[in-house]
Amino acid sequence: MSAGRDVLWGAVRGQRRDVLFGSVLGAGHQAGEVAVPVLIGVVIDQAVARGDLTALLGWLAALAAVYVSLSFSFRYGARAGERAAEQTGHELRLQLVRRVLDPRGGTEQGRLPGALTTIATEDAKRVGAVNMAAIMGIGALFGVLVGAVVLLWISLPLGLLVLLGTPLLLFAGHLLSKPLERRSEAEQERAAHASGVATDLVTGLRVLKGIGAESAAVARYRLTSRESLVATLRAARAESWQYGMVLALTGGFIAVVALIGGRLALQGDISLGQLVSAVGLALFLLGPLEVFSWVNAELAQGRASAGRIAEVLATPPAVGTGTRALPDPVRGELRLRDVRCDGLTLDLAVSPGEIVGVVATDPAHATTLLRCLGRQTDPEAGVIELDGVPFTEVDPADLRLAILVAEHDADLFEGTLRTNVAAEEAVLDRVLVAAGVDEVARGLPLGVDAPVIERGRSLSGGQRQRVALARALAADRAVLVLHDPTTAVDTVTEARIAGGLREIRQGRTTLVVTTSPALLAVTDRVVLLDGGRVADLAPHAELVRRNAVYRAVVLA
Amino acid sequence: MSRELLPTATPARTRAAVLELLRPHRALAIAGFSVMVGATAIGLLTQPLLGHIVDLVDSRSALDALTLPVVFLVIVAVVQGGATGLGLSLIARLGETVLARLRERFVGRALRLPLEQVEKAGSGDLTARVTADVSQVAEAMRTALPELARSVLVIILTMFALAVVDWRFLLAALLAVPFQAHTARWYVRDAVPLYARQRIAGGAQQQQLLETIGGASTVRAFRIEDEHAGRVTERSQRAVDLTMRGVWLVLRFYSRLHVAEYIGLAAVLIAGFLMVRGGLVSIGTATAAALYFHGLFGPVNTALVLIDDAQSAAASLARLIGVIDQPEPPARTAEVTATPEEAVAVAGLRHAYEEGRPVLHGIDLTIGRGERVALVGASGAGKTTLARLIAGVHVPAGGSVRFGASERVAMITQDVHVFAGSLADDLRLARPEATDAELREALTRVDALTWADTLPDGLGTIVGEGGHRLTATQVQQVALARLILADPPIAVLDEATAEAGSAGARVLEKAIDQAIAGRTALIVAHRLSQAATTDRVVVMDDGRIVQIGHHTALCATDGPYATLWTTWTGLRVTDIPDSNPPVPE
Repeated sequence: MSAGRDVLWGAVRGQRRDVLFGSVLGAGHQAGEVAVPVLIGVVIDQAVARGDLTALLGWLAALAAVYVSLSFSFRYGARAGERAAEQTGHELRLQLVRRVLDPRGGTEQGRLPGALTTIATEDAKRVGAVNMAAIMGIGALFGVLVGAVVLLWISLPLGLLVLLGTPLLLFAGHLLSKPLERRSEAEQERAAHASGVATDLVTGLRVLKGIGAESAAVARYRLTSRESLVATLRAARAESWQYGMVLALTGGFIAVVALIGGRLALQGDISLGQLVSAVGLALFLLGPLEVFSWVNAELAQGRASAGRIAEVLATPPAVGTGTRALPDPVRGELRLRDVRCDGLTLDLAVSPGEIVGVVATDPAHATTLLRCLGRQTDPEAGVIELDGVPFTEVDPADLRLAILVAEHDADLFEGTLRTNVAAEEAVLDRVLVAAGVDEVARGLPLGVDAPVIERGRSLSGGQRQRVALARALAADRAVLVLHDPTTAVDTVTEARIAGGLREIRQGRTTLVVTTSPALLAVTDRVVLLDGGRVADLAPHAELVRRNAVYRAVVLA
Repeated sequence: MSRELLPTATPARTRAAVLELLRPHRALAIAGFSVMVGATAIGLLTQPLLGHIVDLVDSRSALDALTLPVVFLVIVAVVQGGATGLGLSLIARLGETVLARLRERFVGRALRLPLEQVEKAGSGDLTARVTADVSQVAEAMRTALPELARSVLVIILTMFALAVVDWRFLLAALLAVPFQAHTARWYVRDAVPLYARQRIAGGAQQQQLLETIGGASTVRAFRIEDEHAGRVTERSQRAVDLTMRGVWLVLRFYSRLHVAEYIGLAAVLIAGFLMVRGGLVSIGTATAAALYFHGLFGPVNTALVLIDDAQSAAASLARLIGVIDQPEPPARTAEVTATPEEAVAVAGLRHAYEEGRPVLHGIDLTIGRGERVALVGASGAGKTTLARLIAGVHVPAGGSVRFGASERVAMITQDVHVFAGSLADDLRLARPEATDAELREALTRVDALTWADTLPDGLGTIVGEGGHRLTATQVQQVALARLILADPPIAVLDEATAEAGSAGARVLEKAIDQAIAGRTALIVAHRLSQAATTDRVVVMDDGRIVQIGHHTALCATDGPYATLWTTWTGLRVTDIPDSNPPVPE
């Protein structure tokens, strides 16, 4: 997928300074790691074997210099790599959030919020990690090259043996463990299931207790846990034997290197110290070569993650945009001309300043109407106009400054009651009273400054609804569309809210989509939608009197 | 409400609990550990064998002399590989089995905690323990612990081997220890609080993303996109900053370890030099000692880095054991009502969530067998508290709740949850032995079978977290189907229609009607049309019962209920042609 590749390359290119810097230092670090076993061999050879004190001190100083440089390179190189990784993840995260919040929408269709969040955290992080992988890969490559040069310089046959043998050894290990790996991956996934089930049961604790299903839940969890245990055991056993196998292969390889190296040394082709260095290098080279397979895995994961990110970024918008400006000020005349959408066929004119109730016999029709008015979707046919300007000719962001659709399940955000309502200080009290939030605030220790946790979960359903309503009123748009704003509020409060709503929206166009009689009673007119069409249009009291369908929907 | 976190076990109790968990697997533990010691010890024969080859080269032996040590090297490799594979799988079996027992005991205990206690602790406490703490312990058991054990074994046995080669080599190698110990202490001191902050920042970032992305349509509607992008930026930046601080800490930690490595290595080499010169050891022995020490770098670094993993795992473990050790709550005392016709008898019931702020002042209420009672009143009137006291969620501060002989109470609230898994599995939580036909029957009664059959896999469709999403109305229908399957004689419903929206509410009212057929029911009603269909309406105000009677009678009486009815309908009673909604047959 080329869009994914673009994201991946963009990630590395954007951090090229850190990646370059990190790679150079990473190479330096690997060179140092190669030098340590070589120097151990040299010390044995030049100093220990010959009893030469000057040589000992000289080579120990050289070893110190190597340590200083490898430590320094590792420290700053790895930091550059991690910084590049984190920065990339951060930037991708913000890019994704920007796309999700784009006024034209579209990304949430077919994707759960949890899945999008995972893309913005895990996938962004994985793409970022590609930077670190690149640095490690380049460093390891350099380490292998230096090691190879040193080995070939020590002895051509021994060098070739190690250089050809090590990759072969890793390949053999990989080949042997591949079937195990594949199995263990699937099993680990099943193992993770147990913790998911436990969390789910605890989250639903009240529901379980409500129907006395604790024992059934515990029994079910035990079953899941046991199944998961069997799977994990298989995976763990596979992993253990894989590790043992690699250990045996490595040991065997070292034996071969020792045999060939020993023979060469006995024949006088290489020195004693070179033998020690060669054995040390053979052990060392396994490290960078293992890094290669790790880099490979990281790149594969990074590619898959980049693909998912690219897909979200490239999601087509749900609605188009336009360039026409709305009149200033907006009067609030709403006109639906032969609008057809999802089984809804609608012709409706709302005069500026009118408060209109909308009652739908099918809740799906109410939702469709709200989606069209909020421009989450555009009608299949027909036109919706605000002050004579068709919706589709206006930028949705501009339109939302004139018309607000307050959804039934609108989310509150972390903060306080005050930050959620976000009203100007002068109108705050009025808005709070109208929405019945004054009562909510009185019941909380800190009043309007009471904290609200994420999605408003610290509040009860009824409290949340009232705060959401206050927020909608405070936004003070020319046109306000409310959807079922009081379903979780008690009757007395609902009646108060209805009165407050009427008063605060005086002279401003307001649509209330609801079946609550108390709210409908304060509207000027009520539209009854039945079978996807306008079936009746009259004040609440009149509809109650003359329309049996209306009576059934609203009062039964 | 003041927070009262769930208990955490003391370190001593945690250790004892771990030993208790291990005791049944003592043989496995001993076997695994012995095999690992053997494997590591055999592996350490490699260096002296290599040293021997060096000596053979040094003494210009015949080529054939190499064969024997090389064959030994191969044998060592094979035996070490095999023994390590066996040892690790034994240890994994021990760890995983103990882990499974631990999590089962935790979940078993957690699900039986009194709801009151869980709520006092805040819902996040238990959830955090079951997610973060369980996975922290599991992660440690699976990766950190075996790795740590392996590294420590290698370190100890290498030290031992060095001493066997010559005790003076060990002395030289030990010069590195004070530096390593100091570095480790410094690291743990800084790392533990830093990682705790990192986890918090990571959680905050995740939460903000969920909130912003989950509430995207609200964010767009109110045009607060920039504010939210700013919040995400801030939290993501904070997480990045803390991660970088953690990275820097680890890197500085390694730098210090490099110093210790150099000191130790130089000391071993100098010792080799001196001892070879003094004729105390051969060059091969000195080589073996240097290789031993070089081989220690990896395990030492691993062991030191894992110290803080082990520490956080221990903290998590203490939080799990704390819950496991909670005593079983006393079984509800089965007080029996006076007459068999009475299903519930409440007398002088008082309750307060906080000292000095009573929410119920002496409630007396008797509900007859099979009777349907609606509780109505303004928010804060005490309806939910009364319902919850009857359902046994809270222990009353005063007074009594008594039931008819062998009565069971089930409660459905507006808290909805669909259990992850198939729809059929979700329903079977209420009655594990239910047949498919019984499940379909229950769904039919709540009018949910139609949509359930149109799900991609019917009743086998995966629902809940990560599965097919159900609407608020459907979720509540599932809850009612569970009630039918659980089949309790008494049902308490607390605003079970509130979250569904007005259109869904009517569907649910019909479903409720079916679900409580043949049961004694107490319904906290929000929509008065629902109250109108019950046998008796109980009107509450400020923690007291102010009116009791049938809907029709109460409407005809000048009183709180008539006022409520007028406000609810937005009309006077006389405005409505047929003011008595049909009473269900």
